[in-house]
Amino acid sequence: MFSKHVTKDISAYCQGELSSEESKVFAEHIISCVKCRTKFEEIKLGIKLAEQLPRLSAPDSLWQEVDALLGKEPAPVSTVSWPRRMAIAAAVLLAVSIGAVWLYNSRKPSGWQVTRLGGAPRIGSETISASGSLAIGEWLETDANSRALIAVGSIGNVEIDENTRVRLLATQPTEHRLELARGKMSARIWAPPRLFFVDTPSAVAADLGCEYTLEVNDHGAGRLSVTSGWVALQSKERESIVPAGASCETELGKGPGTPYFDDSTPEFKNALRDFDKAPGNGTGALASILSQSRPRDTLTLYHLLPRVNEEDRMHVYEKMAGLVPPPDGVTCEGVLKLDQKMLQQWRSSLETVWGPGGKGLPKNMKEWKLLKKGGDPKFFGKDGAK
Amino acid sequence: MERRAVMAEQLINGQVIEACQQGDRDAFHSLFVAYRDKVFSIAVYSSGGDRSVAEDVTQQIFVKLFTAIRQFRGDSEFTTWLYRLVVNACMDERRRRRRLLPWGTTETTVAMSNVSDRKPQERQYARLEISEAVRNAIAELKPKFRLPILLKYIEGLSYEEIAEVMGCSKGTVASRLNRGHSQLAKRLSHLNNPALWGD
Repeated sequence: MFSKHVTKDISAYCQGELSSEESKVFAEHIISCVKCRTKFEEIKLGIKLAEQLPRLSAPDSLWQEVDALLGKEPAPVSTVSWPRRMAIAAAVLLAVSIGAVWLYNSRKPSGWQVTRLGGAPRIGSETISASGSLAIGEWLETDANSRALIAVGSIGNVEIDENTRVRLLATQPTEHRLELARGKMSARIWAPPRLFFVDTPSAVAADLGCEYTLEVNDHGAGRLSVTSGWVALQSKERESIVPAGASCETELGKGPGTPYFDDSTPEFKNALRDFDKAPGNGTGALASILSQSRPRDTLTLYHLLPRVNEEDRMHVYEKMAGLVPPPDGVTCEGVLKLDQKMLQQWRSSLETVWGPGGKGLPKNMKEWKLLKKGGDPKFFGKDGAK
Repeated sequence: MERRAVMAEQLINGQVIEACQQGDRDAFHSLFVAYRDKVFSIAVYSSGGDRSVAEDVTQQIFVKLFTAIRQFRGDSEFTTWLYRLVVNACMDERRRRRRLLPWGTTETTVAMSNVSDRKPQERQYARLEISEAVRNAIAELKPKFRLPILLKYIEGLSYEEIAEVMGCSKGTVASRLNRGHSQLAKRLSHLNNPALWGD
């Protein structure tokens, strides 16, 4: 189906100036259009920058100067009588009260709806009876017997498991962000990529249109498992792309580890765990990873390329090229030098091997709708529509 | 400071405006307190960061407002009417200064570095740097892209209100803001670094 580009509407979308129908059309288009998504990231940065523009303070001396100049102006003769002045004073007093109430209400942060699924989840120190509202900065906490469901604005929902602690950090048209301090949550998100984020102590999960579970233990280490679509797990130095059917572990101080498919062999997973723990001494582990690799496991091998030394990189490249030959224009020399353009080109062709049902990240509306239909029918509807 | 200004703005109702129209200096002072920072901010950013020019423009605006307010009939919101006055005054000043500036002198050479509203005790150094870079980049935008950004981020107006102030359609406002945001992002792409923002 033909769908017009939406670049001209990006600012209006981000600033809540589109109708809900227009927003839906926008979101559906942008999730499948690389061109509009690139522009979307650029405009988001522009908005973030413009928000830093401070309001300046006029100098205190300005009134004296204005007042002096007003003295020279042919001011209208004041016909305001004393009773009228009193009325104005009363009106001002009333406005102060109304203004104070308005200010108090308008400064209350907007929040997300929380529904109790069992037990007695708490927002701050208050227990939720049936439902409640989670404001920015507030913690939602469940104990060993309680669970809750958070509606993430209009873009999806997050199920909070037992013994979990989450906090709402931001809810804006350009960014929805939760912090998962410990426990387990399952997210189902319908939104353009990189609008919904979850901060954990060791990495940030950036949604690329998907369903996933995220766990954090008491030591700040975590594990991401994706059941539909794609998720990016990021730290300052690293990013791991995790498709449906794959998982990735994270560790405090190290960031995201190397992603792997859940159906890979136990030997493969154990070797990868050993390698991630001590990549400098991982030659034996690497040999085991390479020997156990299937074409799909190029997901793991691709992420290992920048994480191994140059000598080992050659072995990884050779194994990958044997499993899924690189496309034209991608050379061994370029990959060994970690040429970003070539790596991106190879990744694009590998994504079709990694993606659910042999599909890569959706590149057009048709592919996106197919991805939707592969999702949970309870979430997407019987016909795949939201 | 900002909270006080917001409170003061809440006080401006029909009766205060009516009193201003009658020449009541006390009422006019209330009006001045409510809007001085917003008007001054727009004047600073529109004059390439020159505070002394901005002070002159702000004075002129309020002096003009004192007499022109009698013509306000309440057909639109008072703020819309006021910002139209402000935008026109800033555009007039810019045209006047362009005539006076010698060839080869551009607005960007007018010292943005004169803006010294830094409050290091209140903000992180990195945020200050970002804020200053944004001010400079805003000063370099064409007025048709800069003014909607100022009305949006300094005054907090909606697209519809900006359209009314600028006398154009809402679609034009959306388009100009889009281009303004895009140009800001391109000029300041080096600031797209989470470490700088403390993300």
